[in-house]
Amino acid sequence: MNNLIQDTLNKIKKEHIAPEPRWKFLLRKSGIWLLVSLAVFFGATAISIVYFLLSQLDWDLYRFMHKNSIMYFFSIVPYFWIIFLGIIVIGAFFGVRKTETGYRLSWLKIIFVISLIVIIIGFIISAIGLDRHLNNAMIAEVPFYAQNIATMEKQWMQPEQGFLAGTISTVSNDEIILKDLDTLTWNVHLDEKTLVRPTVSLEQGQMIKIIGNEDGEQKFSATEIRPWVGQRAKGLKQGGGRMNGR
Amino acid sequence: MIEKKEVRTDVQLVELARGNPESFGLLMERYQGPLFHYIRRLTQLQPDDIQDLLQEIFIKIYQNLNAYDSHLKFSSWAYRIAHNHIIDYFRKVSARPQTNALEDYEWNKIIQSSINLEKKLVNKDCVVRIIACIQELPMKYQEVFILRFVEEKEYEEIMDILQKPKGSIATLIARGRKMLVSKLKAKNINCLPS
Repeated sequence: MNNLIQDTLNKIKKEHIAPEPRWKFLLRKSGIWLLVSLAVFFGATAISIVYFLLSQLDWDLYRFMHKNSIMYFFSIVPYFWIIFLGIIVIGAFFGVRKTETGYRLSWLKIIFVISLIVIIIGFIISAIGLDRHLNNAMIAEVPFYAQNIATMEKQWMQPEQGFLAGTISTVSNDEIILKDLDTLTWNVHLDEKTLVRPTVSLEQGQMIKIIGNEDGEQKFSATEIRPWVGQRAKGLKQGGGRMNGR
Repeated sequence: MIEKKEVRTDVQLVELARGNPESFGLLMERYQGPLFHYIRRLTQLQPDDIQDLLQEIFIKIYQNLNAYDSHLKFSSWAYRIAHNHIIDYFRKVSARPQTNALEDYEWNKIIQSSINLEKKLVNKDCVVRIIACIQELPMKYQEVFILRFVEEKEYEEIMDILQKPKGSIATLIARGRKMLVSKLKAKNINCLPS
C-alpha cells in the first residue's frame, strides 16, 4: 500500500499533474448560476405573458359561444407559453441540482422556490409592461405564434360567431357606423333590447366590443355593447390597434 | 523526551497539498485504507485492480483540490469522487458490479442492521441465504447499506457522497430494508431468531 502513495506521487511529478486552477471551478459554478438565472428570467417573462394574455380576454364569452366554461378555458389557454414555462422550470430545476449543494434540497423545495421567484419577477415584468411589448414583438415577428395564440382582438373579431370590435365612426338613434379592427366599415343596428353597459359612451372615436349577430355583408345587429376597457386594452390601443390577423 | 507530533486536519492538509504534492502524500496515507475498502466493498475487483482504481481516484482528487469546499467533510468529498469514478469505471467496461465482495463481519453488520436483529446470527446456512437475498437487491440499495451499516456513515455524509437529498437517502434505506424482508418471506427464510 505504501508503494501506491509513492507511485502516485511519482506519477504526479513525472506527468506534471497539477490541481486545476481555481478560476476554472469558479467559472463553471458561475456558468451554472448564470444559466439558472436566465432560465428564471425567461420563466418570469413567460408567466407575465400568460397573465397578460388571459387577463385581456373576456371570461364570460363561453355563454354566447354555446360552450361550457371548461371547454372555453381550454380553447384560450396560451399553450405555447405554458409549455415554454414548464421546460424552463424543469431546466432551472436541473440547473439548481447541478450546483454545488443543490442535491441537498428536495425537488419540492427547489420547484417551490423557483416558482416563487418566477412569480415575483413575473409580477415586476408585468408591472413595467414588458410582457405586452414582448407579446407584440412575438406576434409581429413569429407568424406561427400569431396564428396560435388567443388574443382579445382575435376573440372579438369573429362576426360570424357574433363578436365584433372596433372604433365608432358615427352614431345615430338606432345605428352605429363602426370601423372594425381590420378597418372594415360595419353598419351596426341597435334596438330597445340592446344592452349597453353603463361604462360605454357611444361617441365617435370610442372603441367598443359588440355581441350580436351578423345580418349580412358588413351588417350586424347588436344585443350587447361593452367598452374596450382596461389599462392593458388601452395600452394595446395606443400600441397601434390590432396586433394580429384573423 | 516525547516528541509532540502535530496532527493536521484534512482541511489543513488540502491547503498544503494545493501547493506541494508531497503534502498530498499525507492525505493519501490517511485515506488509502478507507477508500481501498470502499472500492472493494462496492466491486468484485482483485486487490491489484482496486489499487489501480485507487490511484486514478487519488489523482482525480489531487486535480480537483481547488474545487474542494471546506464546508463539506473532506472524507465525504473524497468518497464522492471515488463513488463517481467507480460508476464511470463500470460504464467504461460496460458492466455493473453484481455482487459485493464483503468480509463475513461486514455481511453480519448489514444483516443485523437491515433486518434489525438484536443477536448475531449463528446459523451459517441462514446467513448464506440472507446474503444471497441482499445480493439480489439493486446496487443502489446495496451501496446505501454499505455506506450506512458497514462504513457507518451519518445520513448527511451519505447525502454528500451520493449527492442526493437526505430524504432520498432515508427512502433508499427504508425501501431496501422492505425489499429485503419481502425477499426473505418470498424465499421462506424462517431461520431468523424471533
